[in-house]
Amino acid sequence: MGKATETDLPGVGVRFDLETNAGRAVGVVVHQTGRRDLVIYDERDVDRACESVELTEDEGHTLGELLGGNPVLEHLDDVVHRLEDLVISWVKIDSKSSLAGLTLAEAGLRAQTGAGVMALVTDSGSIPIPGGADRLEAGATAVVVGVPVAVKAATKLLTQSG
Amino acid sequence: MHTASDLFVIELGAVVLVLAIVARLARRIGLPALPLYLLVGLALGDGGLVELPASTEFIEVGAEIGVILMLLMLGLEFSAHELIDNVRRSTLAGVVDLALNFPPGFVAGLLLGFDPIVAVLLGGVTYISSSGIVAKLVADLDRIGNHETPVILSVLVIEDLAMVLYLPIVSGVLFGGSLLSTTVTVTVSLIVVIAVLGAAYLFGDRLSAIALSQSSEALLLTLLGGTLLFAGIAGRLNLSTAVGAFVVGVALSGDIVSHARGLLLPLRNLFAAVFFVFFGLQVDIGLLPDVAVAAVVIAVVTIATKFATGWIGARRAAIGKPGRARAGAALIAHGEFSIVIAELGITRESDLGALAAAYVIILTLAGAVLYQYSDSITLRAPRGVDRRRWQGTSRLAKGQSKRRWSLTR
Repeated sequence: MGKATETDLPGVGVRFDLETNAGRAVGVVVHQTGRRDLVIYDERDVDRACESVELTEDEGHTLGELLGGNPVLEHLDDVVHRLEDLVISWVKIDSKSSLAGLTLAEAGLRAQTGAGVMALVTDSGSIPIPGGADRLEAGATAVVVGVPVAVKAATKLLTQSG
Repeated sequence: MHTASDLFVIELGAVVLVLAIVARLARRIGLPALPLYLLVGLALGDGGLVELPASTEFIEVGAEIGVILMLLMLGLEFSAHELIDNVRRSTLAGVVDLALNFPPGFVAGLLLGFDPIVAVLLGGVTYISSSGIVAKLVADLDRIGNHETPVILSVLVIEDLAMVLYLPIVSGVLFGGSLLSTTVTVTVSLIVVIAVLGAAYLFGDRLSAIALSQSSEALLLTLLGGTLLFAGIAGRLNLSTAVGAFVVGVALSGDIVSHARGLLLPLRNLFAAVFFVFFGLQVDIGLLPDVAVAAVVIAVVTIATKFATGWIGARRAAIGKPGRARAGAALIAHGEFSIVIAELGITRESDLGALAAAYVIILTLAGAVLYQYSDSITLRAPRGVDRRRWQGTSRLAKGQSKRRWSLTR
């Protein structure tokens, strides 16, 4: 539940749709210009936007914060943020990985690749700035930071066997 | 003292003011201004109410610039990547569109006794909807978020791309000499178009970075100069200036696009209006009664075929009946491209100009009205609405939205 679907609008931008548990549909149109439209679909004709509110990029951010939640945690897969020449990536630890189940000290990820683990996110909670005794549990998400090559190498170690 | 240039300025000022009045009128009644510009053009010039001896020459040059700017702005809306992705996704909708909407014009052209190549032009006139008018209608009516809108936009994009191949072919045939030399010209021009689009795909970013400037004056001059030069060369090679300008627009991407849009929009609005007036000027009003019946028949047939195109496309995307009706109605409006195509053949077959003008006026007005009121037609008549959707249980709606996904992505 709560997953948004995405459709391209050629020449305009992208539309995201979300269907609520209660059966209403809402959407957001992200224009190439940065403008956002908050759209509410008609109950009788689910394809029709009966209400469309135009928002600037900033207003969109504010509304997003008001609606709560940490949007980063909602798209854990394949999210990569770039800061100058550093990359932050959210990597789901695969059970195939030889590092799965090891503590950070045992895994020696930073020594091997140059990339560090900034946080671990598990179902039971998240560990910011984990220490050497924290474990890389399979299924948890490691927030990895480093230069692109290092993050790529770390991602490989955490997701693939051997 | 009176000079020729005073007279020219007076004429031009009067024409532009008349356009301003009709643009206001169109806005007041909620219709596109294009058909009214055509009517102004028809009313002026040879056989019309007032002749324009001093400014016709300028209007002719302005019209040429108008086509180039319209196509440049259209190209700016898309990046090469977006175009190619879209073709992959919506080929079928594009084929249906072509199969339903090209034949009515082509057959009508043959029945009216036009040359085959002029019939091909008339097929193009009926085939292509107006990206400009339709996109504006969608935005003005706040329907960008509607589920059928991607279907509409995809069809428009495919049509615009089809023009990139169609215009060089028909220009090659129209202006070429013998069969052999025509074949050679057409082949060469198609290879050039594909090569330029490929280059735009690969090097567009770099080109955009070079053209970008902090000074809006420098940027405007760069864009205008570069586009006119490139479009002119493309025209020289029988590729059509329109296609040349479109390709320049497609090649530009990134930061430059939003700056360019802001700078070019006022110029585009002026010169596009001049283009429609010029087209109207060339049409002999005396021919209108002769072509009126044909124009109405072709209009009625293609309103039905365009409606079917949108309906089929939206149905494939698992959209309900009201949405299908909106998609169908949206595609009816014809405009700038139909006129650009008819303009190519107007010297060869004078009836084509009158026919296309009447046809475009009918379709644009009908399309705008039907698209605006399609909801009140379908939603008021439960018989025309899918009843399950009308009642809309959430379980059903969810299943349908999933199906939509697998089809459109």
